[in-house]
Amino acid sequence: MAYSRKDVSTLTRAERRRFVKALLELKRRGEYDEFVRIHIAYYVPDGEDGLRTAHMAPSFLPWHRRFVLELERALRRVDPSVSVPYWDWTKDRSTTGAPWTADLLGGTGRRSDLRVTTGPFAHAAGHWTLTENVTDTEYLTRDLGRPRAPIDLPTRRDLDSALADPVYDAHPWDSTAAKGFRNKLEGWGPGRGSASWRNHNRVHRWVGGAMTGGAAVNDPVFWLVHAFLDLQWSRWQRRHRGARYLPAAPPGRNSAQHGRIVARHERLPPWDVTPDELEDHSRIYRYG
Amino acid sequence: MVVSAGPAPRDTGRHPAAPERGGPPTATRRGVVRGLLAPALALPLTSLAAASPPGAAGFDEHYRGRRLQGAATPAGGWRVTVDGRPLHLMRRADGTWLSTIDHYCSYPTPLAAARAAVDELGPGHHPRTTTVHGGHGHPEGGHHGVLA
Repeated sequence: MAYSRKDVSTLTRAERRRFVKALLELKRRGEYDEFVRIHIAYYVPDGEDGLRTAHMAPSFLPWHRRFVLELERALRRVDPSVSVPYWDWTKDRSTTGAPWTADLLGGTGRRSDLRVTTGPFAHAAGHWTLTENVTDTEYLTRDLGRPRAPIDLPTRRDLDSALADPVYDAHPWDSTAAKGFRNKLEGWGPGRGSASWRNHNRVHRWVGGAMTGGAAVNDPVFWLVHAFLDLQWSRWQRRHRGARYLPAAPPGRNSAQHGRIVARHERLPPWDVTPDELEDHSRIYRYG
Repeated sequence: MVVSAGPAPRDTGRHPAAPERGGPPTATRRGVVRGLLAPALALPLTSLAAASPPGAAGFDEHYRGRRLQGAATPAGGWRVTVDGRPLHLMRRADGTWLSTIDHYCSYPTPLAAARAAVDELGPGHHPRTTTVHGGHGHPEGGHHGVLA
């Protein structure tokens, strides 16, 4: 029986409490930090050599689908009633509403050092010390909306422009692909500066602080963001019936992408699973 | 892993404005010099020539109270430090640069990426290098499919 992932703004008080409690328990056990480590380790940009699985690659969506699912499984081992909620930033756009309330993720960071001081993940609460990080900062940081140089969350229209693309991904299968749902959703747009931050990338920037870096997983909002992106993949599949993950077959030996991306039936590290096997989640969870 | 052997297949499908991978060295050098001359917050204290190995574009400047030093490596990468601590820079396929601290956008030069990383560093904090490297660990291996 598939369980439900809910819109975070609809969670009951008890659901919020249980989600937070399960996260804190994973952190206490040291399991949470393993997820932070994996995300840092698997960020291989497309100008570097080697296999890219998590970012700037077709497998951005299945990699994060599996990653969220692993976290969710860990949470459900702690409390079987818990699932990962999603944050619909096209709808909940305030810096003080869901999911930034004191009984869920807490609010933005204070001005002097971006330290989060409210909610269960505030350092002073004693349960959320960052140990795996790309800086030596031990407390969670956020900079919602980046007041010193304000940016907006991506809009419904931004999301629709990605969803409208009938092709999953396209040559050259990296952050410069001008066509394809995947890169439009991941958000590596053309041009420089803020114009190039779209959808997923732009949300990371808007949250700021820890979410800006490779250790973004240190902010639990990471899971709510990627659950919503995961939902977009399912919406895209419904909108474009029959459209599949691409590439279907690995790029040939003469391609610059040979050995650097994961094709539909190839193994997706660090897991023993293929994108093909991750295209349908309906027997595991559904979006409510 | 296989790296591009020729330019032919890499261009199609790109954004028109995207330069070739690695970027033209002259543009990078110009960017560095422009950076040193920029008045806002940047306080160049050491000359470019003194800090750089001969023939390589490098930088050594103070930015928002941090010392940024960078030098090209023979392999085409950059070794960059913030107050002497290594800052891991990575390349994008369009020739731009990003750091582990500022991971969801990229910058035209290593110096610009280093400054952006400083912008994100809290007061008194430094970059930290991690002990893990991409694509080799299999900590969660052994599961099959969504239906495991």
